Amino acid sequence: MPLATYDLWAFVSENWRELLDGLLNTLKASAIAIVGASLIGVVLGAARAHRIPVVSQITAVYVEIIRNTPILVQIFMYFFALPQAGIRLDSFTVAWLSVMIWGGAFNSENFRAGFEAVPNRYREAGYALGFGSLGTFLNITLPIGGRISLPSSINTYISVVKNTSLMIVIGYEELTTTAINISNLSLETLEALTVLAVVYLTLVWGLSAAIRLLESRLALPETR
Amino acid sequence: MPEWVEPVARYILTEGLPGTLRVSAIAVVGSALIGVVFGTLMTIKFLPTQALIRLYVEVFRGLPILVTVFIVYLGLPSVSRSLEFGPLTAAAIALVLWGSAQVAEATRGAVQSIPTEQHEAASALGFGWLGRHRAVILPQALRRLLPPFVGLLVNIIQNSTLAQTIGGVELLQAGKSQTERLTFFPPAGIGEIHAFEIFGGVMILFFLISFPLTRLAAVLEKRLIV
Repeated sequence: MPLATYDLWAFVSENWRELLDGLLNTLKASAIAIVGASLIGVVLGAARAHRIPVVSQITAVYVEIIRNTPILVQIFMYFFALPQAGIRLDSFTVAWLSVMIWGGAFNSENFRAGFEAVPNRYREAGYALGFGSLGTFLNITLPIGGRISLPSSINTYISVVKNTSLMIVIGYEELTTTAINISNLSLETLEALTVLAVVYLTLVWGLSAAIRLLESRLALPETR
Repeated sequence: MPEWVEPVARYILTEGLPGTLRVSAIAVVGSALIGVVFGTLMTIKFLPTQALIRLYVEVFRGLPILVTVFIVYLGLPSVSRSLEFGPLTAAAIALVLWGSAQVAEATRGAVQSIPTEQHEAASALGFGWLGRHRAVILPQALRRLLPPFVGLLVNIIQNSTLAQTIGGVELLQAGKSQTERLTFFPPAGIGEIHAFEIFGGVMILFFLISFPLTRLAAVLEKRLIV
C-alpha cells in the first residue's frame, strides 16, 4: 500500500538536488518569459491603444489566435511541427518562447486597457509641456497606464509560471517534469505530488501576496 | 487533396472531437453546479464553511491545472483502488475542481453585489434563506455571471487538451497519434511527416470553436454594462 509507505521526508532528502534543479529551471524559463511578455505587452499594447496602423491590426490577429487556441497545441506546433519547416528549437527555447508568446498576447490586452484608461487631458498636458509623442508616452501614459494595468498583468505572469508545467510534453526538466519522472522510477507518486502542490502553491500564493503589497504601494493616489 | 488527409481528418473528428466535447461538457456542468453552491455558501457569515471553501478555492485556483490532473489521475488511485479513473474522466474531474473554484469566486462576488434591499424585501415577503436566494438573489446574480461563464467555457474547452498528457483521446491526442501513424511505413502509414498540417488543423478547429464564444462573451459584457 503506497499510503502505508508514505514518507515525504525520505523522498525530499533523497531527491532534493534534482527537485531544486527543476524548480530553478521553472524559474529560469518563467523569468525570461515574463521579461519578454512585458516588452511585448508594452509595445503592442501601446500600438493598439494609439491605433497605429498595420501594427495595431497585426497585434489584434496575434492576440485572437493565441487567446482562442490551447497553449498546449501552441507548444506542439513549436516543438513538433516547426521542425518540418526546417526550424528546430530545443526544449528550453520552446519552454520560454511558448509561454512568452502566450503571456505577451494577454499582456498586450492588459496594457492596452491600462493605456486607454489614461485620461486624454493628461496626454494633452504632456504635449503642452513640450513633450513629443514618445516623450508623452514614456513620461505620462506608461507610468500611469502601466500602474492601472498592474493587477491584470501580474495575474498573467502568475499564469505564465503555472503554464511552464506544461513543458512535460516536450521533456524540458522543469519542476513538474522532474517530480513526475522521479515518481515514475521510485513509485513515490503521492510524495512527488505533495512536493509539486506545496511548491506551486507557495510560489503562487507568495507571488499574489507580494502583488497585493506592491499594488497598494504603486496604486494611483486617487484610487488609494 | 492528398490521399492521407481524409482518414486523418475522419479519425480526428470522430474519435478526438467527441472526447473534447465530453470532457468539456462534464467540466462545465460540474463547475457551474458546484461553483454556484460553494459561492453562495461563502456569502453566509459562518467561519468554518467560509474558511473551508476559501481554502478549496485558493488551492485549486493556485495549482497549475496539470498538477491537479496528475493528482486525480496518478495520486487518487494510490490512496484507494476505488478512485481509479480513465484519462478523460480524470481530466474532467480535474477541470471541475479548477472550474468550480473559479465559479465559486465569481458567484460570491455576484451575490454580494446584489443590494441588501433585495434581501430585506424578500424577507419582508416571507421568504426564508433558501427561498430568498432561489427566487430573488440568484436569478439576478446569475445574469451578472453570464459573461464570465462563457469565458470559463472557452477556458475549459482549451484546457481539455490536458487530457492528452495522460493519454486521453481528445482532439490534440487524436492529431498526435495520426501524425505518428503517418510516419510509419505502409501499410500502417505512408512514411511521411505531416505534423505541421495536422497540428495546424487541430489549432484551427479549436479557433473555430473558441472565437465565436469569446466574441459572445465580449458582447454580453458590453450589454451588461449598459
